[in-house]
Amino acid sequence: MSSDVQTIQSVHRHVHKASKSLSPARVLATLALAAWGGLFWFLLLSDRVALYLSSRTAWVVPVGAVILSIAVIGRVFTLRVEHAEPLDRRAVAGIGLIMVPVVIVLALPPASLTSYAASRRSSFSSGGLAASAEDISSGELSLADVAGGLRSKEGMQALVARAGSDVTFTGFVTREPGQPADEFVLTRFMISCCVADALGVQVRVVGAPPGQLAEDQWVRVAGKMYPLGREVIVDASAVTVVPKPKRPYLNP
Amino acid sequence: MALSARPDQGRIDTWKYGAVLTAGLVALWAVLRVTEPTRVAAVQNFFLIFGSLLIEAMPFILLGAVVSAAIEVFVPQSIFERLALLPKPLQLPVSGLAGAAFPVCECGSVPVARRLLAKGLTPAAAVTFMLAAPILNPVVLASTAVAYRGRDIFWPMLLGRAGLGLLCAMGVGWVMSDETRQKLLRPRNDQGEDHSHQHESKSQAFFGHLSGDFVFMGRFLVIGAIVAAALQTFVPQSVIGSVAGTPVVDLLAMMALAFVLSLCSESDAFVAASFVQFGVGAQLAFLVFGPMVDTKLGILYSATFRKGFFRTVVIVVATMTLVGTLWIEVLVG
Repeated sequence: MSSDVQTIQSVHRHVHKASKSLSPARVLATLALAAWGGLFWFLLLSDRVALYLSSRTAWVVPVGAVILSIAVIGRVFTLRVEHAEPLDRRAVAGIGLIMVPVVIVLALPPASLTSYAASRRSSFSSGGLAASAEDISSGELSLADVAGGLRSKEGMQALVARAGSDVTFTGFVTREPGQPADEFVLTRFMISCCVADALGVQVRVVGAPPGQLAEDQWVRVAGKMYPLGREVIVDASAVTVVPKPKRPYLNP
Repeated sequence: MALSARPDQGRIDTWKYGAVLTAGLVALWAVLRVTEPTRVAAVQNFFLIFGSLLIEAMPFILLGAVVSAAIEVFVPQSIFERLALLPKPLQLPVSGLAGAAFPVCECGSVPVARRLLAKGLTPAAAVTFMLAAPILNPVVLASTAVAYRGRDIFWPMLLGRAGLGLLCAMGVGWVMSDETRQKLLRPRNDQGEDHSHQHESKSQAFFGHLSGDFVFMGRFLVIGAIVAAALQTFVPQSVIGSVAGTPVVDLLAMMALAFVLSLCSESDAFVAASFVQFGVGAQLAFLVFGPMVDTKLGILYSATFRKGFFRTVVIVVATMTLVGTLWIEVLVG
């Protein structure tokens, strides 16, 4: 009697095991998880995180990569089911939509914001994530200090106190209509979380070699800094063309 | 005969869909590689903002999906049913303040709120939690404090953001208090997968729910990021600058800007602090309205809740933000 029961249970298990098949809906969802996991690993290994995120939020990429990898492994064990869930055109389109950004980021060459963005964001480029007046009053001056000067009265006073100081700033060339040939605006973006919150920091460079620098060209400017009204001017002693930095954005 | 034909047809359709999807993605990759559209500055700007919004927000959707799946699988329904028995005047502030213990931005709070609602929490409490969490969580308040450090409007901004944010979330929760969860939640077209975990172990069900929530929310986040990136690229921010200092209009303009920019609530304070030509009320309007109402959230809300929910949130949050920031302007100047 007991062996009959065991035989029936064994046949039952066998039938159940045999009737399981791959669920297309689960396979596709797992592929979407894997695609995003793969993208995060790619960004980490190719050192491209800084092109999208600030150092403050860069942790989301390894965290995302690890969780997605675990999720893919966990999901792989449940791909075979007795009754496959329905898969319709809408579900496939949804999965495709999630994968589109992965393809875009992988297919396009690495890039950072340019003078186009500077022209769209210039009205508000007074840097909410800048250095304090205390930071400005000592040490080597940076573009974050310039942003701090433009941000508050105290910051500007601290910057004025250091007028004539030697500075070295790195950024890209932007031009304004009607600007003399030996002048340009040096721009660098600061990001707090991601590129969407970028704020431009700009200084006017005078005494640059005329006609040699193209727009969006990355340069290092050395010279003396003079705050003037609501802007900062650098009287350049040397302007050197440099490759775009690996971290093109300043972080708070 | 008909019974045996159906699975075959399903298999053919699956292959067809799979082939079309793969071909579409490969074609997109090839077109992008060959044409290099980023040579056009505006297109490059669009793709950079689109990519960065998603690379930052997708892990938060994922964390929200992890919490949501854990709630579904490991937290007994009876807990939420007991919470639902609390008197309503107590439910709203408690669920709003509970957001302080959930340090993810607005994208992560939507799947969690949906799950809480499905598990038995009242619509009023779930909605209040969803709207309050992106403002009251400690990471957001810390970034607001850093952005305004050393400024004379430090305390009005910090306390105003937390207080007005909580009030707005409770206001929407109060308006939703007569709703039932069946009427509020929009049925998902992936319900089949979402509800087929009964015969699986807890860990298998956990990964099933995680995957379901990620895929469901992720697609709408992509649509929201497309809209936000397009608006950021093609609408110059200078159009807002002209109304700085115009009473009431400047508040509305900053709310509109927050809607368009769709910034993460953990970073928006740095952007708000740079609008030095706007007063304390306008900056506060940006910081209170944005984490509750923006383009990507509009898409996420519309996919998660019934028709009309997003409109209600916009009306209530906009009205309360406007009135609240006007008062703060009067008090602080």
